Amino acid sequence: METPHSTTHAPQGFWTKYLFSTDHKTIGIQYMITGLFMAAVGGFLAYVFRYNLAFPGESIPLFGQLDAMHYNAFVTNHGMIMVLFVGMPFLVSGLGNLLIPLMIGTDDMAFPTLNMMSFWIFLVSCLVMVAAFFVPGGAFGGGWTLYPPLSASGYVNRNPAFWSTFFSATPMFILGVALEFVSMLMGGINFLVTTINKRAEGMTPFKIPLIVWFLNIATLDFMVSVGPLVAGAVMLLLDNVVGTGFYDPARGGDPVLFQHLFWFFGHPEVYVLLLPALGVMGEIIPVFSRKPLFAYRTIIYLSLIAAVLSVVVWAHHQFIAGIDPRMATFFSIGTIIISIPFAGVFLSFMATLWGGSIRFTMPMIWALGFIGLFLIGGLTGLYLGSSTFDIYAHDTYFVVAHFHYTMFPVVFFGFFSAVYFWFPKFTGKHLNHTLGMIHFWLTFIPFNVTFFVLFFNGLAGQHRRVNEYSSFSNIMKEPYITFEKISTIGAIVLMVSQFIFLYNLFISLRKGRKAEKNPWDSNTLEWQADSPPVHGNFNPYPVVYHGPYEYSHPSSEQDFVPQDNPIVLKTN
Amino acid sequence: MTIFPENISTYGQEIDRLFYTISALVAVAFVISLFVLLYPLFNNSAKRVKKATYFTGAKRKHFRWITFALVALALSDFYFLYAEHGAWVTIEQTQVKPDFHVSITGRQWNWAFTYPGLDGKLYTPDDIVINEMNSELHVPINKNIVVDLWAKDVLHSFFVPNIRLKQDCVPGRMIQRWFKLTKTGTYDIACAELCGLLHGKMRNFLVVESQEKFNGYIDSLYKKNAPALTMTNPSN
Repeated sequence: METPHSTTHAPQGFWTKYLFSTDHKTIGIQYMITGLFMAAVGGFLAYVFRYNLAFPGESIPLFGQLDAMHYNAFVTNHGMIMVLFVGMPFLVSGLGNLLIPLMIGTDDMAFPTLNMMSFWIFLVSCLVMVAAFFVPGGAFGGGWTLYPPLSASGYVNRNPAFWSTFFSATPMFILGVALEFVSMLMGGINFLVTTINKRAEGMTPFKIPLIVWFLNIATLDFMVSVGPLVAGAVMLLLDNVVGTGFYDPARGGDPVLFQHLFWFFGHPEVYVLLLPALGVMGEIIPVFSRKPLFAYRTIIYLSLIAAVLSVVVWAHHQFIAGIDPRMATFFSIGTIIISIPFAGVFLSFMATLWGGSIRFTMPMIWALGFIGLFLIGGLTGLYLGSSTFDIYAHDTYFVVAHFHYTMFPVVFFGFFSAVYFWFPKFTGKHLNHTLGMIHFWLTFIPFNVTFFVLFFNGLAGQHRRVNEYSSFSNIMKEPYITFEKISTIGAIVLMVSQFIFLYNLFISLRKGRKAEKNPWDSNTLEWQADSPPVHGNFNPYPVVYHGPYEYSHPSSEQDFVPQDNPIVLKTN
Repeated sequence: MTIFPENISTYGQEIDRLFYTISALVAVAFVISLFVLLYPLFNNSAKRVKKATYFTGAKRKHFRWITFALVALALSDFYFLYAEHGAWVTIEQTQVKPDFHVSITGRQWNWAFTYPGLDGKLYTPDDIVINEMNSELHVPINKNIVVDLWAKDVLHSFFVPNIRLKQDCVPGRMIQRWFKLTKTGTYDIACAELCGLLHGKMRNFLVVESQEKFNGYIDSLYKKNAPALTMTNPSN
């Protein structure tokens, strides 16, 4: 290891310290704040179209009338924003930047400038997404999955001039997503190189905390799967602005090609978000059970298996899209098999609780809430993994409810768990416990109210992306009309209660209880640095002696053994 | 309140039954998992248990409980894959002998129906086309109906909840599906794939009726459309 560096080189000016910073901690926080802003945008879109679904035709408070065109645009952008512009910055870029250098015991990312560039490109991508609402004709409304020919044919606002086509809805949507990919690839290469090359002395692969493993597996999964979609998106862009016919059957193209390219990325993307969230649980649960993470190595092997499987199951999104029915059997088996490694991971987390001495702190409660909700999300996935049942359930609200039961816990419960856990580390202040509890229950209950009823609407045959269901009086009858209203009220409460979280952040930053170095008695290296860590994190660099989860070890006085504590643990 | 809309097809029951099979498996898995999650929360709170027991789960002896669970999950997975396969083959991979053959084209924003003309064959110049919003597709009861699904402009998805049939229609290809209906009445035909501005207004009706009534309907169509028979392959 190189000699410990001096921390006096920390940039002192406001601009270099807080804005154009190359410090991984600042960049991580910038990602999260941008993610919060985009979550507000995505949430507002959801509020508008959910209100419209429950009370069709009525004027929506804070918005006004919602017509079919804007409904489509809002649903589309809600989907894309929540996955790529909220989930990714929260869980992958945000957590990855904040945690990887600290947890492996180094000063910063391998390429700090690239890291800064990755954030600024991400910010531009967010601006492009938001700006698309203000171009003539409004934002793109062809579904977040961008299926051609609808997305390739210029849809509503085609203009013959090249530049005005270029700055219209579809190309801007593609551009925003493409920039986001560029940013993620820059961040991702940083994660991999940093983890491989910059680990502290003694940090062997199986002494790396689970979340660092998972962030890297997620990054690899992302990098492996994103290429085909980029190719697909370029062809879509060309179809749009140049007039090629990659997806136009009249000119020898094929619309289903895009679906394959999209879902080849789209399904692994679910795991790209899931794995960091699981990593958060893997850090929180052992700390507050005061017990080693159950089957740490097996969890890593299982998730590697899952990551490999994740790139061969994509066509379960296309069971009835016109693919050869005989192919469905293969993808159905693959989809069902992928439940096994993830069940193993979840059961290992639960097994960690057994025999523990459980402390119900804020992060722990969020983590347990995550597991409970994801259980429902994962199990309802079994219905949809069955190709036969998918004939009926595909594109209904059953699917909507299912993926919100997976994505919402992953993105938001994962994020909140992480914030409640690491907030003291990165700010030096504790969050308010009472406000945190209120926030938890006002998120957990309204979330279930919002989405549980939608399972039944889906089973009743209600299909997605319909702005006004009055045309289908046979399907849309009682109690499903009431269910729509219940769901909307749940969603509104859910969104309003997030202000409690923002208030908690704000008030705790100003007046919160001061946090010591290691408030949770945790083992991993970030807790051995100052709160908040200085520029350069450690002085001197730590040396690692133990695995990350040595809690309540029989040969240790304390019930925790920090990774850099040189005492010898007797194994029996 | 019933969970599903009324089933009117011969294979719809198999999908409903599959739902209840999976639900049974899921319910067992859910209850067990919930117990595994909640038991330690009540039993092992820091108030009750001062010091945690140290075990890492690296030993096979400890991990075997999870192995059991995973094997059980794998077995139930394969059980229901086996259970579902029959219905999949029936719905998606069976070629029935058509008693009545009709072509359906999704377009922005309605379903167009093409009946064979007097020669009884589709895609000949005397086909009859019904192409308007809210129009009806008439089919006889208890007959094998074979539908050719087309799309004119963008993706559509032919969805009749009461049949439990949904199939995307893709421009440039023809996809054939079949059904046999057991109950007369009028049912919704929806489009389940986002197809643009009026996707939500894309609604037609499926009218299931007796063979006599159906014959009468076809006869009236012939009379009405006789002068204007044209080439109507809907993909053109």
